[in-house]
Amino acid sequence: MEQRGPEGAEGVLFEFRQCVKLLRATGRKARDLEELESAIRSVSPHSIYHHVYEYPLKMIELEYTNDFAHWAGETLEARRLAEALSNIDPYRFGSMEELRDELARQIEEFRKNQSLVQRVLPGEEFYFNETVTLVFPAGARARNLAEFLMALKFVDASSIYYHFFEARNRVGINDFSVWLKDALGREELARNLHEMDLLMHTVSGIRDLIASSLEDELRREIEVSP
Amino acid sequence: MILESYAGIAPKRDLIIIRLLGRRFAGRTFLHVNSTRVGGGVAEILHRMLPILNDIGIRARWEVIEGDPDFFDMTKKIHNALQGKPEEITSSMWEHHFQVNRINAEGMDLGADFAFIHDPQPVPLIDFRPSGAKWVWRCHIDLSTPHEAAAERIQAYALKYEAAIFSVAKFARGMPVPEYVVLPSIDPLSEKNRELEKEEIEEIANKFNIPPGKPLILQVSRFDRFKDPLGVIKAWRMVRKYNDCMLVLAGSPATDDPEGPKILAEVEEFAAGDPDIKVLLLPAFSDREINALQRLATVVLQKSVKEGFGLTVSEAMWKGKPVIGGAVGGIPYQIIHGQNGFLVHSVEGAAFRIRQFLNSPDLLKSMGEKAREHVRNNFLITRQIRDYLSVWAAVEEPESTSIMMV
Repeated sequence: MEQRGPEGAEGVLFEFRQCVKLLRATGRKARDLEELESAIRSVSPHSIYHHVYEYPLKMIELEYTNDFAHWAGETLEARRLAEALSNIDPYRFGSMEELRDELARQIEEFRKNQSLVQRVLPGEEFYFNETVTLVFPAGARARNLAEFLMALKFVDASSIYYHFFEARNRVGINDFSVWLKDALGREELARNLHEMDLLMHTVSGIRDLIASSLEDELRREIEVSP
Repeated sequence: MILESYAGIAPKRDLIIIRLLGRRFAGRTFLHVNSTRVGGGVAEILHRMLPILNDIGIRARWEVIEGDPDFFDMTKKIHNALQGKPEEITSSMWEHHFQVNRINAEGMDLGADFAFIHDPQPVPLIDFRPSGAKWVWRCHIDLSTPHEAAAERIQAYALKYEAAIFSVAKFARGMPVPEYVVLPSIDPLSEKNRELEKEEIEEIANKFNIPPGKPLILQVSRFDRFKDPLGVIKAWRMVRKYNDCMLVLAGSPATDDPEGPKILAEVEEFAAGDPDIKVLLLPAFSDREINALQRLATVVLQKSVKEGFGLTVSEAMWKGKPVIGGAVGGIPYQIIHGQNGFLVHSVEGAAFRIRQFLNSPDLLKSMGEKAREHVRNNFLITRQIRDYLSVWAAVEEPESTSIMMV
């Protein structure tokens, strides 16, 4: 996000950015839960980040909230573990290491009650990847709430991801809330956006939800008693 | 502007980043080296991609290595071995592989800022890289279960490159050089995928005697056992008990497969006497016909039991058709089960899903729309160009996980 011009409700631009991800293989793979747990404990933080935080970028409606849960549920058919892993809220951890520990701990707990080690067929392994992110302008900017709403509706989904999901890891809060509060003085709206549950929505679902909040706010402002 | 012709077709996001990366690398040279200028997916994509790279200001060039029949015999063996087939490759063959590349290097302009060396045939060229150039080995082959002796020989060369690129993560080797993953793509403006006029589609329907109005089930693939054409007919016969529909199996004979003619004969015999099954043996380059058949289809199948990437799936999805595909090779990257198509594991599964589509026009429509959108976002040539240029940027900033283009 880039702010320009003097502070104030008008004249402070929100420049939308967007991103693309280039996938990089780590060469690590897991054939069973023991190998998955071991790899989770030792792969790069970038790989954990990719398989958890970048999951919404898949842009599809799925039953899970990260790649590990997805593999456990769909490939290993370990439903209980898939539920436990899906229920991990990655935004409540102070560091990537804490998230890594929690993922590994859930798998370890599940394994304690498993008598048989289930190993997947070749080709169905879990492949650990990372990404390189390229960030660039989305070609849209807004100076006020109405323009912001309009831009929000047509920018690429990767722009919503970058400002709303990824920003949580970058600056601890989404970029939209920062701008709404600092540039437009709309504290309540900023707070409402910040409180949206990222895990429970796809990127397009979040876009609709934000748009709906902005529309409500704008409608209240333009309505007058006859 | 050639890139402009993709506006309104490819995602705007990809066109913006391609232009920005073009600006970053403007005036610099990007060399591609492979072993053939015609035939095969690599040459096809390079033919389409180079004009676009030049259009955005990059000086893109393409060189092709030459060799004698012994060279191509042994590189075919390398290809097979890397895909897991046991092949005896002697030391003198490997020496010949190197020497042919040495001779090519002497007569070839290898001067470039950045280069992609495609597949194993020209991989030894790395020993003749001009100083200062950044080279990437672009491997299009499935390396997931290779014959290890051959893989190690090739890897010894690959390790000298700045990076490697594989078509899916499971093909990567875990080598101590960065290994990027760039999925294959289709060109929406090519003859096989461009929009067709209604009259063109009708003309091709008439040519193949496909009556209007009757639901059409289609599989486009060469006639080989791994595409399970007999399984497709069996599935269709199960469907036929409930729904009136016709089946078209279209493809070319597998000329490099000794079993090809046998499979085709089996298919024709199995389909004989059923006027609602058409087995179309198409000559090479029947792109417009395939395009029209995919647009005429109600449901498209790719019921493979073994598959490379299977880009015919994306071709059909691009035309708004949900595909029922075998859960093998690259098909699960394209079909998200239950969202933009169905992955199946049996003849019965294929039959059940065909019936589901024929009985639910709304499902057919909504999944077809999602299928097209999925391809638009992930499998168009513009995304592949974007990724290739991103690799260049990443190779220049090897320590960065985030590259700011603002």
